[in-house]
Amino acid sequence: MGPLILCGTVELDALEKRIAGLRSEIRAAKAAGDHATVRSLRAELRKTERAWDDALEPEPEPAKAPLLPVREQVHQALTLLGVPTAAKMIVTVNEAFFAGHITTSQLTSLRRDEEKSFRTSPYARPYYLCAALTSELLSPARGLLAVSTWPLPSRIIGPLSPRADFLTSATRIAEHIMRLTGAGEDASPSAYRLLTRMAQNIPGAVDGFDQADPAQVIAAAGAELAVHEESDTDERGEAARRAEQQLNEVTRLFGAGLKTARTA
Amino acid sequence: MTRLDTLRGPAAPLDHNARTIAALAVNPGCDRRALLDAAGIDKQRTATHLGYPAPFGQSPFAITRAASFDALVKANGCAHLLRLLRDTLDLSISEASYSDISDVGGSDNHQVRHTRTRALLKRAASDGEGAGTLFDHPLLKLGVAGHQVYLEPAIIAFQIEGRFHVVEIKSFAVIDDQADAGQVAAAARQSAVYVYALRALFASEGLDPDRVSHDVVLVCPKDFANHPTATLLDVRQQLAALDRQLSRLTRIDRILDELPVGITFDIEAQSPDEAAKAVSTVDARFAPECLSSCEMALFCRAEARDSGSTDMLGRTARDELGGVESIPTALGLADDSRLPSPEQTEIAEQLRYVRRIYIEAVA
Repeated sequence: MGPLILCGTVELDALEKRIAGLRSEIRAAKAAGDHATVRSLRAELRKTERAWDDALEPEPEPAKAPLLPVREQVHQALTLLGVPTAAKMIVTVNEAFFAGHITTSQLTSLRRDEEKSFRTSPYARPYYLCAALTSELLSPARGLLAVSTWPLPSRIIGPLSPRADFLTSATRIAEHIMRLTGAGEDASPSAYRLLTRMAQNIPGAVDGFDQADPAQVIAAAGAELAVHEESDTDERGEAARRAEQQLNEVTRLFGAGLKTARTA
Repeated sequence: MTRLDTLRGPAAPLDHNARTIAALAVNPGCDRRALLDAAGIDKQRTATHLGYPAPFGQSPFAITRAASFDALVKANGCAHLLRLLRDTLDLSISEASYSDISDVGGSDNHQVRHTRTRALLKRAASDGEGAGTLFDHPLLKLGVAGHQVYLEPAIIAFQIEGRFHVVEIKSFAVIDDQADAGQVAAAARQSAVYVYALRALFASEGLDPDRVSHDVVLVCPKDFANHPTATLLDVRQQLAALDRQLSRLTRIDRILDELPVGITFDIEAQSPDEAAKAVSTVDARFAPECLSSCEMALFCRAEARDSGSTDMLGRTARDELGGVESIPTALGLADDSRLPSPEQTEIAEQLRYVRRIYIEAVA
């Protein structure tokens, strides 16, 4: 760091000298009544002053490499949400709460890689990122990621589950924001934006385009969830029982499908 | 059907989609388009082969924009859509079920998906309350010119109080409750195709086709934001036009009967000149509107220009000049250099009158 600071001071010294020189030149030109020269010299002075300001700015810090691998980050986001979630939502949550920088394209092959890893050495990892299963065919639901340690019913997607899961994740996000504010921190603006966007599609959760209030979102989402919960839980429980009986340990995590049957 | 296969040559038939079926309804009098579509001929490639490539098709930007808006509306179990439907159609809170038929157990085979669509819709229609509200990516089937065509709509069939609606998601903006009339008309024509196909499906399942509403829910971005809004669109008129056009298409045999035996539009085996001659044996009905909806438009326009056909002047002028086929004939009748045939006397008199006024005006 030593030479850098030295270099900075040398630069600053030269700039200050130049500024002092310019000022006296301006005074001289003003006394001589040469207005055109005064104007051009003042412009020059302003430029030099700006350069002096810039020289004071600290060097930008080099971009940090992410500390966690992608699958850990996805697991973090999924644990916050607690329901099978689409890649886009995972990326948004990761960005809003964990300042992560994963992209959706990094998630496309994740499920396949996890399946491969599970097939070669089952249960070697503490958790796997796996599929959610459709309630009727027990096939992998399109585009959704889940965690293998969750109870099977919560990984089942019935007809009402997309809505129920949406309401649950809105609740979980609101709760997390309340936890953060309760601990004396505040959630990031993007976290509030995400909550507001979700709240706009829940009846009674937000007024107009205002920022959503977490407590109000939890109440409104809970009210709608109460309507769907019973039939959704029944459907999920029934499908989970079927999955327990019919599927082996691989397909229980990654789904049984016409395609799997053909390639397996 | 073998006759149509001969026309197409060895190339694989091109599937119809809502866009092509809707385009058929725009120009019902065009035998050429009807025949090429019925045979499943790739018009784009044919036009290129003939030396008239169409500056035509959807821009990649428009496609990306449409796809991203579509994804936005359907995100999180159609959260946006449910809000809109609750606002505009008073959908009850408990009706939130969502079934995705974009694949069935990981298979996206058309036949499997169509069977699944049928099964789900039938169950939803006969079980009543709560048996299914939204159906994403249903795959419908429609008989066009004697062969079955799969329609892959990026839409959702949706049920409220026992009536099914078609939801069409379009990415053109509705600004201050006003949308581009041309875009809305195109959307209405395409949705009419889906309504028609859905009714056909209901009829074949022994259900009442009238349970499919003629009101389509059109979802578009509101004003300058990316926030979706929904309106109801009545497509009865488009349905009637489509019905007429499709029943006409099934009589494609009539056009085939007039064709010389052994003719083919196969572009692999024929030089551009030969192919052009073959295509010209089928009558086209060119109108300037074709330029925005048909890949063959430039070829037909050049043909109409060469023959001095009145089609060039647009529909209104052509209909005014009833019975006069070409522009030179019309001019000849007007300046008396050509003798009118008995059925042309009336129009010839009018043309002469117009010419007299014209000369007085420009003199």
